[in-house]
Amino acid sequence: MIRFDGAAKRHPDGTIAVEGLDLDIPAGRTTVLVGPSGCGKTTILRMVNRMVEPTAGRVLLDGTDVAELPAAKLRRGIGYVIQQAGLFPHRRVIDNIATVPYLLGWDRKKARARAAELLELVGLAPELAKRYPFQLSGGQQQRVGVARALAADPPVLLMDEPFSAVDPVVRAGLQDELLRLQSELNKTVLFVTHDIEEAVRLGDQVVVLREHGHIAQLSDPHTLLTEPADDGVAAFLGRDRGLRGLGLLPARDIAVRPLTDGTRQGGWELRLDAGGRPTGWVEPGLHAQPRPAPAFHPGVDTLRTALDAAILSPAGAAVALDKDGRATGIATREAILAALTGPQPAASKPDSPKPDDPKAGSPNPDSPEGQDERPVNSHGR
Amino acid sequence: MDGEPLVRWYWIGDHLAYLRDLTLDHAVIALVPVLIALLIAVPLGLACVRFPRLYHPLSAVFNVVYALPSLAVFVVLIPYTGLATRATVMVPLTFYALAVLLPTTVDGLRSVPDSVRQAATAMGYGPWHRLSAVELPAAVPYLVAGLRVAAVSSISLAAVGALIGRGGLGYLFIDGFQRTFPTPIVSGIVLVAALALVTDLLLVLARRLLAPWAVRAGAAR
Repeated sequence: MIRFDGAAKRHPDGTIAVEGLDLDIPAGRTTVLVGPSGCGKTTILRMVNRMVEPTAGRVLLDGTDVAELPAAKLRRGIGYVIQQAGLFPHRRVIDNIATVPYLLGWDRKKARARAAELLELVGLAPELAKRYPFQLSGGQQQRVGVARALAADPPVLLMDEPFSAVDPVVRAGLQDELLRLQSELNKTVLFVTHDIEEAVRLGDQVVVLREHGHIAQLSDPHTLLTEPADDGVAAFLGRDRGLRGLGLLPARDIAVRPLTDGTRQGGWELRLDAGGRPTGWVEPGLHAQPRPAPAFHPGVDTLRTALDAAILSPAGAAVALDKDGRATGIATREAILAALTGPQPAASKPDSPKPDDPKAGSPNPDSPEGQDERPVNSHGR
Repeated sequence: MDGEPLVRWYWIGDHLAYLRDLTLDHAVIALVPVLIALLIAVPLGLACVRFPRLYHPLSAVFNVVYALPSLAVFVVLIPYTGLATRATVMVPLTFYALAVLLPTTVDGLRSVPDSVRQAATAMGYGPWHRLSAVELPAAVPYLVAGLRVAAVSSISLAAVGALIGRGGLGYLFIDGFQRTFPTPIVSGIVLVAALALVTDLLLVLARRLLAPWAVRAGAAR
């Protein structure tokens, strides 16, 4: 765990980057620092590996003040990924990835074997190992950057706007990859971004920062979207945050009508192929082409996906699929909307902090994904 | 030189060994100073990047040296290093080469993108280790570019040494001028150009070998 204990950074010219930050970064989870440029988020990140030394307060890594550890040794134990990837132009991909193992004195063979493993882990083809960074696309470079950060299996990963310089499609791919990696590796990830979408997508907890590193809100992504602490945070979150919040809730507890009760819905009939997969909606008696049948996977997809499918469906209902893509039932718009107002956490949250948690500025909801231990920590001020 | 042809081939045929010796002497006089300058420029450049305050005074000194006419410097050095010795020519040429190589070394070391430098620091390189393991290799294309300029200009300048008795192929120009006999002059020009061309090609080849990642000119990313 990483703990900021009154950590502050005042530049020699007197300007304040971060003013007295108290923050806990829980182990094994992803914490995203998000805020406008100049809010001190990168400074906060760099205090962890001593690339910025606090001028007051402390940063504790598993209880040890990082200032007491030799900088080089500390840094070899902390993965670091930055915006431009920062790959060494003169080293091949495989040797870029093996940088920290080399620094730790591993022999060449072992370091390269480990690097090859990581290349695969981040979803890159083995033949890229021999290339130089300039021969890679931006997205590939960034994957190599992530692989390099993970090479010596550090428990902590610092990521400073790592996906900001790539186009939106590639960025979404990299975000998916990070979520997948994190579900396997459970690193303590501290991620900095100015993109609130990225923050709510990746974070187990999201820290919204104002200038001087003041915490405007600290909560899980869904609570952030549905219950912003104040107008400033709400403005930063932007439009449609209620709808975007649905993208964080799993499509569960929807009253799906089983197909055994019929394949008709609102004057349309659902057609299936021989394997039970939906092929489209048709109006009985008419010989028109079937219309597409938007579908979702209950429990896997989000409520937003389910609602979107129902909105796009000519029959006004989404098709529920099992994991093999076979239709299991039909969920009407009404059924999906009922699930929104049902037992989901967004529905009936009190606005005041819980009495047993006086420091919490916003309430911790019952976790949307059944993880009751979503961390909510003390605010800076 | 009325009536005298530009080239009398028999003269060249009679003086092949002589021309070869002059060319080798010229290569040593011109290029050894460039190598020595490289050996000085790299540590000096590293120090200038590590301690930026060093750079401005040093580059000012070398610029002033570069401005001095070579002939004047040769003459001034004669009492110390002797008339018609290699050293009298090579010492100033070393300084001229340094005046070219120090800025290119420093530029090369500084050419490393900030993201690369930060990534290296964040992975646990100390300052000197990072300079030698990350910034210096990344500076190789710049160093080679500087070497190409320094080597060619050194080959050209070395000929001036003939005026104080040690200038390799430069002697052919004086000889041809004094005898109004153009063949040695033409031979000298061709050989100086050939020496410069071969040196340049070797340097380009060296860059391909040492920095295969810098395929495009100036692609020192």
